[in-house]
Amino acid sequence: MKRYILLAIGLVLVGIYLFPLYWMYITALKGGTEIFAFPPTFWPRDPMFTAVDVWHRLQMDSYIWNSLVIALGVTVIVMVVGTGCAYVLARVRNRWMDVVLFTVLMMQVLPSSLMITPIFVSFNQMGLLEYPRLAVVLAQAAKVLPLYIVLCRATFVQVPNELEEAALVDGNSRVGAFLTIIVPLARNGILVTSVLVFLQSFGEYVYSRSLIAERSLQPATVGLQSFMGPNSSDWSGVMTYSAIYVTPILIIFVLLQRRIVSGLTSGALK
Amino acid sequence: MTRIFGSLRDGRGFDTVLVFMALGYLLVFSAFPLIYNIVMSTQSVDLFSLASFDRPFVGLDNYREVLSTPEANLIFWNTVKFVVLSIVFQLSIGFGLAMFFNQDFPGASFLRGLFLAGWIMPALVVGAVWSWILAGDFGVLNYVLSSLGVIEEHIFWLSDPDMSLYAVIIANIWLGVPFNMLLLSVGLAGIPKDVYEAAEMDGANAIRRFFTITLPLMRAQLGAVISLGIIFTLQQFDLFAALTQGGPSNASNVFQYWSWQLSFQTYEIGLGSVVSVLMIVFVIFVAAIYVRSTRHEHAM
Repeated sequence: MKRYILLAIGLVLVGIYLFPLYWMYITALKGGTEIFAFPPTFWPRDPMFTAVDVWHRLQMDSYIWNSLVIALGVTVIVMVVGTGCAYVLARVRNRWMDVVLFTVLMMQVLPSSLMITPIFVSFNQMGLLEYPRLAVVLAQAAKVLPLYIVLCRATFVQVPNELEEAALVDGNSRVGAFLTIIVPLARNGILVTSVLVFLQSFGEYVYSRSLIAERSLQPATVGLQSFMGPNSSDWSGVMTYSAIYVTPILIIFVLLQRRIVSGLTSGALK
Repeated sequence: MTRIFGSLRDGRGFDTVLVFMALGYLLVFSAFPLIYNIVMSTQSVDLFSLASFDRPFVGLDNYREVLSTPEANLIFWNTVKFVVLSIVFQLSIGFGLAMFFNQDFPGASFLRGLFLAGWIMPALVVGAVWSWILAGDFGVLNYVLSSLGVIEEHIFWLSDPDMSLYAVIIANIWLGVPFNMLLLSVGLAGIPKDVYEAAEMDGANAIRRFFTITLPLMRAQLGAVISLGIIFTLQQFDLFAALTQGGPSNASNVFQYWSWQLSFQTYEIGLGSVVSVLMIVFVIFVAAIYVRSTRHEHAM
């Protein structure tokens, strides 16, 4: 009996915590006058489905596309550059590797909003700002690479050493053993971490806002911010935009919830 | 030549290459900007000297100028308030929830996982949703508070200089609770059950058990969560952009947003670098303590 009371309290706590998400979806469904009704209605009186209209009116296709391009670019760079490093950090233990790990962890803490000034100036001098989306990809990859390395390292630690040794005895090269034995065994961890990196970059804001001047190249975060404006009263539009933007993220999250939670806990504390 | 190639395929050369790919990337795109930032903070940098390498060296003038601006003091205390209040509430709410969901009931770990839905959302969207919840006239929070009898008049969270910083803090607490709860849950799960049973047999009540068993055994975990909390809170930028933009008149401004404003809104890039340098030094200091303490623990 006590267990079901606890379950009920747990449900209430989750409900209170997730209320902002509920409020976003409910507001997105409300019509113009109902939005500004006070007291507010907690269930839309006559729901209006404006997603298609908002999508076209705010040219969300271009924003979402740019977010996808940036997030994919970041994920590919981070996977290519980071996987091997995570593996070596998990396998080799000596003083040099401690130094490398320390450096990686230190690079993880640099706040984007404070790194953007030197990045902007140096990218400008290198001519990288001619390709603003590439500039954002390069900067954001450096931001999330340490997180990827730390979380993937935790995965590689769990792959037994003996399998690699057996492969080497069988005449595999290190490269061969890494690519055909180790990486496939760590596949799940690599994929979940990559999804996390992808989601983080899909919601990136500071670099995009500062490096991308052209509207047609801006991602969805910058689009949302410019559309909100100081005097915006189109809250239904803002919430519909937000709902369209985060629904895929939430779906991916719910599907991978268990793995994301275990990946985070094993990586962040080891 | 073949030896080098052979080492790349089979020996330590392979490890070295893999490490240096990532390390090289980080050195170019993180460490270099970091050093460049320090250099720029001692130069006079504006829109005209932006693209040239030949900029006048001004020593510590930028530092003096930033620290003597009238808003520096206000923004400093805002930053302190933002960090301290965010962490106190994130930690205590997170700890409470972690203890609750650590109990044995159906669906406990699934429900606990749902909290991470907030953490995974883009912070800018979280800011947008909260700015609608906190809206003065039609915001649902004002409605709830006034129908509970907590407030009599509507609070203009985002435009009232006395409240705007707290508006951002509320949103930031919401955003940070899941991560705190998750990390603390791991610590709680690691405390052996029989320690509690033994204490209960000895007649220790729940409050005593919390202070004599839970808190001491969670000390390392709490240290990690607090230092990570400081780091994450000082990284928070998107909520300020979405909610108050540091306003009204810097009432909710903090260093990490101010630095960006100096560089990208008033184009005083030298001054923006100064604020960055000061903050990054602080963040690295906190992080070094954190990393050292976790390494130490790992070695045991």
